[in-house]
Amino acid sequence: MVSTASSYLDPLLFAVLPYVVFFTFFLVTIQRYRMRTFSYSSLSSQFLENRRHFWGLVPFHYGILVVLTGHVVAFLFPRELLLFNSRPIRLYILEASALIFGLLTLVGLVASVARRFEVSKIRKVTSVSDWVLFALLLVQVVSGIYVAVFHPWGSSWFAASVTPYLWSLVKMNPDFTSIAAMPLSVKLHIVNAYLVIGFMPFTRLVHVLVVPNPYLWRRPQVVRWYRRPGPSPAGKS
Amino acid sequence: MKRLTNRLSFLSLCGAVWLVVGAAAAQDPVEFFRQNCTSCHTIGGGRLTGPDLKNVTQQKDRAWLENFIQNPRAVIDSGDPYALKLFEEARRVLMPTLPGMNPELAKKLIDLIEAESKLEESQFKGLQITDRPFTPREIEIGREIFLGSRKLANGGPACFSCHTMKGLGGLGGGRLGPDLTRVYERLKGRQGLGAWLMAPATQTMRPLFGKHPLQPDEILPLIAFLEDAAHKGGEDTSVAILNFFFLGLGGAILALVCFDAAWRWRLRGVRQPLTEGEIPRGA
Repeated sequence: MVSTASSYLDPLLFAVLPYVVFFTFFLVTIQRYRMRTFSYSSLSSQFLENRRHFWGLVPFHYGILVVLTGHVVAFLFPRELLLFNSRPIRLYILEASALIFGLLTLVGLVASVARRFEVSKIRKVTSVSDWVLFALLLVQVVSGIYVAVFHPWGSSWFAASVTPYLWSLVKMNPDFTSIAAMPLSVKLHIVNAYLVIGFMPFTRLVHVLVVPNPYLWRRPQVVRWYRRPGPSPAGKS
Repeated sequence: MKRLTNRLSFLSLCGAVWLVVGAAAAQDPVEFFRQNCTSCHTIGGGRLTGPDLKNVTQQKDRAWLENFIQNPRAVIDSGDPYALKLFEEARRVLMPTLPGMNPELAKKLIDLIEAESKLEESQFKGLQITDRPFTPREIEIGREIFLGSRKLANGGPACFSCHTMKGLGGLGGGRLGPDLTRVYERLKGRQGLGAWLMAPATQTMRPLFGKHPLQPDEILPLIAFLEDAAHKGGEDTSVAILNFFFLGLGGAILALVCFDAAWRWRLRGVRQPLTEGEIPRGA
């Protein structure tokens, strides 16, 4: 029964869904940028409050950037990665590093979602689609960590089995035979990744497409805040 | 915008369905047989999991064979006595319904088996493996192939990527596929293991090793290594998963401590007065 359901679902999930989500992603992203340019931000996350925000912002972004880079490297340079992994000690170091950054992503995500839920100023600028996105990201990160721990060594088998599948999608000739027999957690991780990509243009995640990279090398700016004298901070809420 | 999005999403769905249907290209029966059948069958090389197919058309009529190849489960479930006999002889291992199979391909496969049966030595006779004891050097080479330190000639990935075994040390091998400590026994010795390694039949391994097949001089040391492991016995009962998880957890905690130490006071001198100082309304 399960295999029958899987034989119907797999073509939909691994050969049709990717094209649907990428088409949606490009279409809605461009459309949103042209029609609602000023919606291209993540709205206020009370960035200046740094005590709690730090534990969400920093671990999440460092974690996700490293983990995503790892996925891209395995996609672009599979042979080189397999060569690197041909010594177990190098494989162990790579996998442990990936797990560390995966766990940092989880810590950051949980901290960010908790802060967003508890601080009313931020909750007010969080839409329903943002909450859905957080749920999708949570599933993505937890399933990724589960796969890393219970189905190692992903850096090698991704390069050997998942990369050819992804390239078959790029070449418009989808071949998901190597994915069809993967454990459920791996399939969940892949399908959920498609959902995140498809859902991304409807959410605050579009900010990744307009990262103000020049901030990294521009000259420092002095910002002056003119403030009228107010009552003593002791009485504020 | 919503209407446009809906229309284009529908178009993308239609396009994607067309791509999947269009991908069902004509199959070469020789390559199909090599990739899908040789792990369980030979033509003139003796029985593996499934029967030797030499002269199979003299044992059963073509129409029955073509029907069986297309959907073995359905024929067995129908109670066909010959299909049930085959099923029992194969130790109740069910022949899979192969992706891409259709009446035309089934006919071509029977033609191929018929033609190969007439040859003195079929290309699908299978790997003929020596009965002599393996040397320690062959076992060592097999271990190097398993771990990946000895590269496979056709560029296939090392077994270690997906499989673990008892006695590998460190954090062990991968756990996407099964523990291979006793695979030699599970596949009934050298012949079965050799046939499997010639053309691995699982859905995950078939696409990989169909494009990057193992060479006979790689298969032999691997059999030596796996036979040696089976003789030593046991299963991989190490706590490698736990060790790996705690290694990651420890590293993550250390990274958080480093983040805190490096950036705890970063910009706080600027931000704190901005967020804690009150700005009166109308300012």
